[in-house]
Amino acid sequence: MVDALQFLVSGLVIGSIYGLAGIGFTGIYNVTGVVNFAQGDKAMIGAMLAISLSQMGLPPIVAILLAVGLTGAVAVVIECFTVRPVGNDVWRGIIVTIGVGIVLRGIAVVVWGTEARGLPAFSGEEPIHFLGATVSPQSLWVMGITAVLAIGLALFFQLTFIGKAFRACAVNPFASRIVGIEIRTMSPIAFAISGVLGAIAGIIIAPITLMQYDTGLLIGLKGFVACIIGGFGNPMGALLGGLILGIAETFSAGYLSSGYKNAIAFVLLLGFLIFRPEGLFREIDSKLVKHER
Amino acid sequence: MKTPLALVCLLIVPFLGSDYLTNLLIVVMLHALPAIGVSLLMGYTGQISLGHAAFYGLGAYGAAAFSVHGGGDPWIGIALATFLVGVMSSYLGWVIFRLRGHYLAVATLGFGFIVNIAFVELRDWTGGPNGLPGIPPLDIPILDLSFHTDGTFFYVAWVAMILAVVMAQNLVNAPVGLVMRGIAESERAVSSLGNDVTSLKRKILVISAAVSAASGGLYAHYIGYISPQPFAIDFSIKLVVIIAIGGFRSIPGILFATLFVTVITEPLQELGYYDVVVYGLFLVVIIAYMPQGLLQGAYGLGRRMLSGARAPAGAGR
Repeated sequence: MVDALQFLVSGLVIGSIYGLAGIGFTGIYNVTGVVNFAQGDKAMIGAMLAISLSQMGLPPIVAILLAVGLTGAVAVVIECFTVRPVGNDVWRGIIVTIGVGIVLRGIAVVVWGTEARGLPAFSGEEPIHFLGATVSPQSLWVMGITAVLAIGLALFFQLTFIGKAFRACAVNPFASRIVGIEIRTMSPIAFAISGVLGAIAGIIIAPITLMQYDTGLLIGLKGFVACIIGGFGNPMGALLGGLILGIAETFSAGYLSSGYKNAIAFVLLLGFLIFRPEGLFREIDSKLVKHER
Repeated sequence: MKTPLALVCLLIVPFLGSDYLTNLLIVVMLHALPAIGVSLLMGYTGQISLGHAAFYGLGAYGAAAFSVHGGGDPWIGIALATFLVGVMSSYLGWVIFRLRGHYLAVATLGFGFIVNIAFVELRDWTGGPNGLPGIPPLDIPILDLSFHTDGTFFYVAWVAMILAVVMAQNLVNAPVGLVMRGIAESERAVSSLGNDVTSLKRKILVISAAVSAASGGLYAHYIGYISPQPFAIDFSIKLVVIIAIGGFRSIPGILFATLFVTVITEPLQELGYYDVVVYGLFLVVIIAYMPQGLLQGAYGLGRRMLSGARAPAGAGR
């Protein structure tokens, strides 16, 4: 039982990261129809920037905020120069964002080298014992920040004008264009949000799992798996999908073999793609709204 | 037949005495096979694959395991591995061609990942992360031919490439080649004319996977040692870069692009990781700004510049 609790906690922690990456995917996808294969690399870039900036002597909070802001800006630049010329061509969208991912990873190697780097934990390393399981304070930070971001995003999507425009794009991209929701405005905003979320995800997990130039690739792919599990139309679904994936991973790593941990994600991916491509939660959406995309 | 004829002149390369050049061209020719495979599937038929490194790797590991663990004849091993990968990809096609676009892309990517994890984890068969050493080189004892050196293996790779080129060109020029292009443009239109779209996609996948696997088998027996790393996702993406540069639907273009990518990445590799940045940039620029490939894009640009305003925009094709 203690084992199970431990796995559950680590699953929720890593799942939060997948979920945040997943939310970034859905935001961009719903607005532009592009699946951003460079999504995970934003987490890597954000974490690496935060590490470098704090090593340059900036106070941690400033370094983190600056890194998050810069990553958001990078995401907007990427949108302008690569995704916009491609338009909504699925094929070219996939390949161009793969290319962006390659460039980001390459730049990361050139700037930061290949060794793994970490951030100091936000509030000490003293583990907390809870019902027999050991929880690091950083895990609580990860889950707490993810929860705050999730609630914040939910409010954003429900209450603000831009948030409602996002939902309109998700429900029916064509109709939302007719009523004047401009892709040219929404797309950079979607990229900025996904860049910021990605950077936060990378930064909060960096003290637990070290960051390396290619860590982002797997985070991104698993974020995508989270979207598939949760359904692409729904950011909160993606977050739940991420949590499910994280828990499935830690349990299989704990009870089977850690070598197959990554395979679990892709087995789930193939299973969902084949048997339930709309995801677990998509159906709720399409029942509420008659227009299918 | 122009392309195979042009490739005949490559045969003098081993006589030039440059080991570096010979070795480079062997790698290019071996990579040309999976590149042609990806082009058939992705370029001509319009079905994204981000998992071709898996077929290449399965061919290599299959052939290697057959001769290292089973002590069998390398040629039979390559043939068997190619055949098995073909059969497997047919079933894979049955599953994945229910999907399109992004979903297909990620499913093939996931397949590539799972296969690579298997290479690492199935230690008894694959040697795990340390790889599988001691793969015997190829020879034909009856004819007293051995392909132990670069200079001699060159001809094996050359023959394999020519066979793949001729096969691919015949395929795309045959009526079925039109159907393939039709699938890329509009599946609905093609199936309304009575074509079984899914079945054809599966057949193309089988051909494409088998060509890649055969090349992987040859590669294993050429290098003599294989590890999971060269068959990872990076290679799948490199193949996509190659066909993007080559213009997706052009066999000579693909051959040129394979050479181009290998040649530009080789010297850059010594500078560290700049090669990765450079080919990523190529990919981004070509896809975003030259959708018809580097050759066609440059050609169109050149023509427009030479003939002033007379040539219509996008006259590359």
